[in-house]
Amino acid sequence: MKEFTISTPARYVMNTVLVLMFLFIGNHITQSGILLRSQYALLIQIGFFIILAVSLNLVTGYLGQLPLGHAGFMAVGAYAGALFWRAHLLPPTLSIIVGLIVAGVVAAIFGVLIGVPALRLRGDYLAIITLGFGEIIRVMLTNLDSITYGARGLLNIPRYSSFLIVYACVVITCTVIHMLMKSRHGRAILSIRENEIAAESCGIKTTYYKVLAFAVSAFFAGVAGALFAGNQGLLVPSDFDFMTSINILMIVVLGGLGSMFGSVVAAAVLTFLPFMLQPLADYRMIIYSLMLIIVMIFKPSGLLGSYEFSLSRIIEKVVNKALSLRGGAAKGGR
Amino acid sequence: MGRRDTKTPFVPERDAYKAPVMECVNLGIDFGGLTAVNDFCITIGPTEICGLIGPNGAGKTTIFNLLTKVYQPTRGSVYLNGVDTKNLNSEKANRAGLARTFQNIRLFKNMTVMENVLVGLHNKTEYGLGEAILRMPAYWRAEKIARARTLELLEIFDMQGIHGHKAGSLPYGSQRRLEIVRALATGPTVLLLDEPAAGMNPAETEELMENILKINKVFKIAIVLIEHDMKLVMGICEGIGVLNYGKLIAKGTPAEIQKNPLVIEAYLGKAEGEGDA
Repeated sequence: MKEFTISTPARYVMNTVLVLMFLFIGNHITQSGILLRSQYALLIQIGFFIILAVSLNLVTGYLGQLPLGHAGFMAVGAYAGALFWRAHLLPPTLSIIVGLIVAGVVAAIFGVLIGVPALRLRGDYLAIITLGFGEIIRVMLTNLDSITYGARGLLNIPRYSSFLIVYACVVITCTVIHMLMKSRHGRAILSIRENEIAAESCGIKTTYYKVLAFAVSAFFAGVAGALFAGNQGLLVPSDFDFMTSINILMIVVLGGLGSMFGSVVAAAVLTFLPFMLQPLADYRMIIYSLMLIIVMIFKPSGLLGSYEFSLSRIIEKVVNKALSLRGGAAKGGR
Repeated sequence: MGRRDTKTPFVPERDAYKAPVMECVNLGIDFGGLTAVNDFCITIGPTEICGLIGPNGAGKTTIFNLLTKVYQPTRGSVYLNGVDTKNLNSEKANRAGLARTFQNIRLFKNMTVMENVLVGLHNKTEYGLGEAILRMPAYWRAEKIARARTLELLEIFDMQGIHGHKAGSLPYGSQRRLEIVRALATGPTVLLLDEPAAGMNPAETEELMENILKINKVFKIAIVLIEHDMKLVMGICEGIGVLNYGKLIAKGTPAEIQKNPLVIEAYLGKAEGEGDA
């Protein structure tokens, strides 16, 4: 019996259609005013955290390094994007796109600058270096008063971060990282996590791929930062403290290292949970922390381990199951 | 013993030595005050199978690490296809035509069998970053070729049926075989095998011997192997080097090695009454 498979072009078409439908429907719902302000804000916040978690997962889950300065890249992107938008150089629609790209590129440049020296170290040393970097960025932003207005905050940032813009960025982030990982470049990144010496002996340029993963990760963190700026309307350096980096890392670990789908789910759950627990007032953080501990004890590989969601795979499974049932006991379908 | 005679090949009658694929000249490395390898000289012809034997701790794997630039030699040099490998790191050494397997298997355990081989084919699969992300025609073409090539390579060990399995879930023998396939995928001119038969039963070893000969014939590459299984070494190697305490104490054909008193001494100790020299 021939197994049912969905051809590659069909998969692409199906996924594209579903994604466009999601964006379209989401956009309608948010504009129709059914959602409360707080619900809308939550939805947008989930969007940033998905981008941040998926981009951090590239370095933590796929490359197998542990940086603690993701908020630093987010900050660089946020200020770069905000300053660009505040200058009003271009008409709004164009300005949004160019601003996001500027934010990403500036963050990626910082990613390379930090990555080249930092990635010579590994494990806890890398963690400390990137942690230091994150703090340096924050302190610099506080003290560059003439540009960033320091602790007083950068005001009057155009509020560009609509549902459509944020979730379009989410889709682009996930797509680009997925496409990257399912190519020879992605396999090279994975091989470094699996066994660096063996990767080198296979002719993989390990330094190049480490820096590449770091730069791509920083790029999307920068984009998320700009979206954050465009949502808040104002920026203060203390938005990007060490705890922000830790929160993002927590999402990635809870979702499952190396699972993009896990990062997406965990970003939604961990942003939604404190909101849902609000009626419990002060006990909220206790329950939140307890939940984290329980998940880590019973499922140390994260909520989803290294599982990747694939709609076409599920459809194929269901159809094959149905076919084999109908095919009857003749072959006892595998 | 002739430690300095770099020009004397393992198998003198082979004209292949006019252009050796690999040549080591007085190779040596010190770890702190300890000399792990000293004055190591060999010459390897284009399609030769050579063995490197010696007691445990003699420095065999260290030599592989020197050749593949995991360690940088303290003294001496390695020429690969006539080019000095002085300034290369292991990744560049691989691209210059040197592939290896490891004594303690180093597979990409959480990746599938196919992905492992595809990593080996990395530099043979040519498309850029942008082409990959935008899924341009170049991506599809190169991926298709690479996947077909992977199945072809896996066929050597009859492993094409399990290309979707996680490498870490394979039995020990298959992991060793997969490592050889991955090394072959990088398109080497010299293949270094570090104890390829370790952990295999006699029947599997027999099969491995045939496969090594097949690889040698089909790919027309030189193979250097470290092995403790004398049946394998004596059975397929044309030239053998014996290492003891970091020094090459003998080299020659299997028959010569078997008769060499120094080799017998290294393995079995001195005969009684011979005294210290």
